[in-house]
Amino acid sequence: MAASMRLLVRRAVRLSHRNITLTAAGAAARSGCCRGPSVCRCFSDEAEDRSTHFGFETVSETEKAKRVYKVFENVAQKYDIMNDAMSLGIHRVWKDALLHVMHPQPGAQLLDVAGGTGDIAFRFLEYIRSQEERQKRRAARSSQTPSWQDISNNYSTEDESRESRAVVCDINKEMLKVGKQKADSLGVSAGLSWVVGDAEELPFDDDQFDIYTIAFGIRNVTHIDQALQEALRVLKPGGRFMCLEFSKVNNPILSSIYDAYSFQMIPVIGEVIAGDWKSYQYLVESIRKFPNQEEFKGMIEDAGFYCVKYYNLTGGVVALHSGFKL
Amino acid sequence: MAALLRGLRAGRTLRGLSSVVAAPSAVNPQCSSLNRGFHRAALRLQDESKSDKPPSSSSSSSSSSTTYHEHYQATEHDTAAEASQHDSASDPAAEQPERPNTSYQDQSGEHGEEYETEEQLQSRILTAALEFVPLHGWSMEAIAAGAETLGLSSASTGMFYNGAGDLVLHFIAHCNSQLTEILAEQHKQVQLGQAEPKKTADFLREAVETRLRMYIPYIETWPQAMSILLLPHNIPDSLKHLSSMVDDIWYYAGDRSTDMNWYTKRAVLTGIYNTTELVMLQDSSPDFQDTWSFLDNRIQDVVNMASSAKQVQSTGEAVVQGFMGAAVTLKNLTGLNQRR
Repeated sequence: MAASMRLLVRRAVRLSHRNITLTAAGAAARSGCCRGPSVCRCFSDEAEDRSTHFGFETVSETEKAKRVYKVFENVAQKYDIMNDAMSLGIHRVWKDALLHVMHPQPGAQLLDVAGGTGDIAFRFLEYIRSQEERQKRRAARSSQTPSWQDISNNYSTEDESRESRAVVCDINKEMLKVGKQKADSLGVSAGLSWVVGDAEELPFDDDQFDIYTIAFGIRNVTHIDQALQEALRVLKPGGRFMCLEFSKVNNPILSSIYDAYSFQMIPVIGEVIAGDWKSYQYLVESIRKFPNQEEFKGMIEDAGFYCVKYYNLTGGVVALHSGFKL
Repeated sequence: MAALLRGLRAGRTLRGLSSVVAAPSAVNPQCSSLNRGFHRAALRLQDESKSDKPPSSSSSSSSSSTTYHEHYQATEHDTAAEASQHDSASDPAAEQPERPNTSYQDQSGEHGEEYETEEQLQSRILTAALEFVPLHGWSMEAIAAGAETLGLSSASTGMFYNGAGDLVLHFIAHCNSQLTEILAEQHKQVQLGQAEPKKTADFLREAVETRLRMYIPYIETWPQAMSILLLPHNIPDSLKHLSSMVDDIWYYAGDRSTDMNWYTKRAVLTGIYNTTELVMLQDSSPDFQDTWSFLDNRIQDVVNMASSAKQVQSTGEAVVQGFMGAAVTLKNLTGLNQRR
């Protein structure tokens, strides 16, 4: 037991050393696999040379998509456990808050992009189900003695109103696989579909969905404005765009605690539980690279949404942005 | 090379300064015509116009403006990187005197249209939702059903942060504006001499009756609406609506008082209105006859109170004078008044 712990600690120390030297040397000094693309970069077109950030590194845009895919491929199996461990379970509160603000009406169609393991979609279906039950109870209470006519009407109109549907879309097949397994184990299958798709190019027609959500996924998208444009396209008129994402903490004390926790604790937890230091290093770095609440609100307004508003959760650690297509 | 760029920059700033006066007038009609367009199209058109502006304003320096235009439209071009960087550094400096002028106008004009349309849209949704109130009550479901009749998704109910409160307050505001229109119309009729001016008591009675009749289609669900209005976060708004309505009624009744009467009159009318509303809720007589007779009685009470108050005052004065007279007589009789 002690030996394995020592092994883990040694491995963690080695990885942290490697990490420090890497970040000190810069992006160019990464592993050998990068030497290939860098050589190609000199000879290829200028179009390939558009660079973006991958955590604190600078990479080309095509490479970022590939590396993000690999990150989530690696973490897919342990994604939910890591979420609970890293956020101490608070991520459930954030996702519940998203649903409460959304307050979906029965019959609504949800598109959950970068939905991966389906947390939002499950909560959505449950919320709608409890709403419908409450409505039925209210109707039953108000009409205590229904006539035979009313009873027969109830039976016939049950399927007439649109059934609410949730579509989970993710670029990563591994995440969707884990989500499907979760759905099977929970016994939820009605009104749920799983689609592979890129947030920048959604495989759906225009004006399809009532609500579009993207929870903790939009910072991994290479072109955020394209994703926002796609969101505008697939939403029905009057539809709502909602985005849950890590954001800037304004309080300096909370910010220093949060930074310390992010950079010291989270990669360690990632190594211990999921055996993957680098992916969780990417995660905390990508949070720092994402624009702050006001900037992101501006981006959403630029894409063409109205009544854009944001709510800070947990002091700004997470921000919930909401906009309407009018 | 550097000297050439410096020369270009100097020339452009001079030309920019000279064209500052000319440019805004040229660009403004463009912007104002855009404002008349629809929102999303207007946004896109605006972006295009901003990129079109540099060539039109600095027409003399065509080569530099085209490179700026290129730079503006294509995000990164390594071939023109250096040159365009220099140009873009100087061009914003030249464009800046004109840019804040037009962009402010665009924003304010566009924002003005957006906000107007957003609020108008919200009031349209709420008006459509009133149809569904008898079915769903004063709730988010009614608003969702109203939004759907307008062709909007039910998710747009998220715009109403106060939910059912928004719906009830919208309805109250609508009723108040209708009442004001009716009263103004009657007032105009009286001023034109086409109608006889009514006595205050009758005027008040008719105004309150007209206003309460607007609730008749929703009388089943009105208790729910009243309870929503009494929620703490809705009380300021509901009090505001109530006080403005009472003020309007008294204004058209001809009250121009500037003393304590102003407050007492409005307080009295508020009391009458509220009690009559409560009576109406549980009235089951045909066409609410009981309610209107209750209203009659209350107004009669007030009128009687006013006249009896006057009587009491004059009686009091008379009594006091009588006592003074008696006291003087007594003093005369006992000889206390005489000075010896």
